[in-house]
Amino acid sequence: MNKKQVNGFNWIKMMNRVLFLAFFCLGFWSVGIGFSSADEIKTVRVVGSTTVAPIAARAAEAFSKKHPGIRIVVNGGGSGVGINAVGRGLAEIGMASRQVTDKEKKNFASVHLTDHIVGRDGVACAISSEIFNAGVTQLTREQIADIYSGKIKSWKAVGGPDRPILVIDKEKHRGTRHVFMEYVFNDVNARAKGAKLITGSNNEERSKIAQSDSAVGMLSAAWLNADVEGVALKKGDTFIAPTVENIQSGMYPVIRDLLFITAGEPKGILKDFIDFVRGEEGRSIVTESGYVFVPGS
Amino acid sequence: MNRKMRDNILRGIIYLTAFAGMFMMVAVLWEVIQRGWPALSLEFLLQPSSNFGAEGGLLYQTLGTIILMAGAVLIGFPVALGSALFQTEYVRSEQVKTFFRAIIFSLNAVPTILFGLAGYLFFGVYLATGVSWLTGALILAIMILPTIQASIQSAIECLPEKYREVGMALGLTPWALARRVVLPQCWYGAVTGALLGLARAAGETAAIMFTAAAFSGATWPRSFADPVPTLQTHILVLAQDSADAVSQTNAWGAALVLLMIVFILILTSLVVRSRFSMEAQR
Amino acid sequence: MFSFLVPDRRCHADPMFWITVFFAGLVLLVAIIFFSYLIFESMPIWEQGVWAFLTSVEWEPAEDIYGAGAMIYGSFIVTTLALLFALPFALCGAVTASEFLSPRTRLVFKGAMEIMAGAPGVVYGLLGAALLSLWIKDFFGLIDGATLFTAGILLGIMILPTIMTLAEDAIHSVPGEYRDTALSLGLTPLQAFLKAVAPRALPGVIGAVLLGLGRALGETIAVMLVIGGLDIVPSGFDLFSPGQNIPSKLGREAAEAIGSGLHWNALLALGAVLFFGTMLLTGAGSWLLRRNKV
Repeated sequence: MNKKQVNGFNWIKMMNRVLFLAFFCLGFWSVGIGFSSADEIKTVRVVGSTTVAPIAARAAEAFSKKHPGIRIVVNGGGSGVGINAVGRGLAEIGMASRQVTDKEKKNFASVHLTDHIVGRDGVACAISSEIFNAGVTQLTREQIADIYSGKIKSWKAVGGPDRPILVIDKEKHRGTRHVFMEYVFNDVNARAKGAKLITGSNNEERSKIAQSDSAVGMLSAAWLNADVEGVALKKGDTFIAPTVENIQSGMYPVIRDLLFITAGEPKGILKDFIDFVRGEEGRSIVTESGYVFVPGS
Repeated sequence: MNRKMRDNILRGIIYLTAFAGMFMMVAVLWEVIQRGWPALSLEFLLQPSSNFGAEGGLLYQTLGTIILMAGAVLIGFPVALGSALFQTEYVRSEQVKTFFRAIIFSLNAVPTILFGLAGYLFFGVYLATGVSWLTGALILAIMILPTIQASIQSAIECLPEKYREVGMALGLTPWALARRVVLPQCWYGAVTGALLGLARAAGETAAIMFTAAAFSGATWPRSFADPVPTLQTHILVLAQDSADAVSQTNAWGAALVLLMIVFILILTSLVVRSRFSMEAQR
Repeated sequence: MFSFLVPDRRCHADPMFWITVFFAGLVLLVAIIFFSYLIFESMPIWEQGVWAFLTSVEWEPAEDIYGAGAMIYGSFIVTTLALLFALPFALCGAVTASEFLSPRTRLVFKGAMEIMAGAPGVVYGLLGAALLSLWIKDFFGLIDGATLFTAGILLGIMILPTIMTLAEDAIHSVPGEYRDTALSLGLTPLQAFLKAVAPRALPGVIGAVLLGLGRALGETIAVMLVIGGLDIVPSGFDLFSPGQNIPSKLGREAAEAIGSGLHWNALLALGAVLFFGTMLLTGAGSWLLRRNKV
């Protein structure tokens, strides 16, 4: 064994070591900072409402074909998640199927949440096809309110078979819930004491209604199918079914705008993408997704 | 006679219950295989998914899962190895050893979703890695740290004392001892640890569902900041669409692929352990 | 100051020593950051009253009202159900494997259990959402299959192999002399097990069960898909009612609240409760397991 190596406490070596460790830590950290401050955005993150997601995902696919360098990543989660993500700078575009609430505006006052209408949609009071076919094809606002507050427990009370109602609620921050509760209770955050189940995405809600033979829920009209039917709702003296035509003409009573939300006015590639969705290519994508295209504005 | 009969009946009940338990495990496997098998094909494995997962294959999901678990082990393994060697080779005091064991142990007890929450805020927000595969790999690395370290440490603790004594008698420094004696004898602990870590990372969903994964539009990441699609989150999303037949087939197919990845990793780790730990004890 | 280290001065000149110190320090740092984050971020909730938070069942983020009662109740019920369901199968399986199988068969059996114990939670979630909840709904004639009961059974199946293999370790580690002595006294193998082995294996078996419960308590995905997601404490211990447990609540709401506000603090307070619970279970569990080995 070399004697010098054993006894000598070499300060230069020591300093080297400390520096090495420091650089190691710095490396970890800079990896985090480095790529987030890139000048131009190449990956656009779109997060939020599962109602708006099909538009964004289809548009992203078409847009990426035209602009090969750009990647647009779409994630669900719900309107609240989308607004929060944009507010905190975790996404470039938030998708929302409802207006930004005052509380959210207050929370993110510094980033100037700006919304861009990309389509229009109706919120259906969706029920299992078994109930629909048994004759419950229309409900009044009061009936829905009674169902959700737990006063009506059987379909018999609204003209259906004598079967308990599976009342399906949604997570509180979901856009569809805000719009639906605004219509039923005039309160976006209304509590639903009669609820038996809470779901999240449109897919989850729809499959729960489809699996049951006695369920009621709230669903974007574009998600309705043979297993999940939307009842007609009362407007004035007539009942209006949630068809595309009725939503387009504005006859259907529960209509909401589908929004892209950005922090401030969009620039560069963000603006291009939003213009793309709101332009001619967007029209076919929005229509194909089952929504109503809102021209211009 | 009576005593023997009672004995046999009791034994029969135990066998039967044990069998029922086994049957349940087999049923779980059978359901996944039977439902997932029809979906499996070369195209399914090699095509990207489209139309929100209802169509197409699993290419990028599988790659995403592999990226995340490999990243996690690449980050976590050196840390676990270094920290394990520090505790077995350099620390003498029993109290300090117990303290470190308690730390590792409490990290192991943390529900994974909490790693997701805290890790996202720490890496994603404070260190600005965002929703990306790097964030996911870092979080998973922390999650599997205890697994890897425990595996290495238990292998080292199994090392017969005489090996160490010989090394010390030769005047080796602690590091030379570790490199020349401990590691060559206990490498299987590191390998099984890494494999189990891979398996745990591959099976984890809660920690990555809002930190690393994207559902649509993400493919092979081009930078550290890109999210990846993963098998786990893919299954999670498709599982919520349980009324749709096509999504369901895809979900079971993805579940089968994920299950196979995890099982192969654990099986390999078991084989390595039983092979070489016996050799080390001989 | 460094008296807890190996007394070898040559270490200080050895880069590898410093590297291992760095990594060990990193692990320590991660743990400290994590634990203190959990505590500090949930402080605003605890300041409002610990007891009120733990017992109130009202959770209304829009009005900043947070009560964890429903989630704690759900976690408790679901974990208990999982335990009651898994216990008989796991124990009988462990006894059979340890006492009555040939060494070779035992090894295969153990391997299979250890592999099954690693099956991802999301796969169980899929099984639960697509099959189990429907079966339970039809079998019990329920209005919907997403209930506390479903979540409990699903978790029970999930932790079964974990408990079985750990309990088997505990039983098998009882020295063979106890069996031999009992057998030589004319007892049957089963009696030998019950009279001589079981009492000695008991602490280890309880440890195994607690570790399994720790896993059940922290599982997110499988539960999230089948529990129903309703923040209520059903009247009269109704197991066939939907409910909510802590991980499922976190999984469903965290993304919306991430980073700021009382909502986030409340979610982390839930997380702290959950962490405390799993620590208690797994802590007691591994203490018993280790005591058993010595």
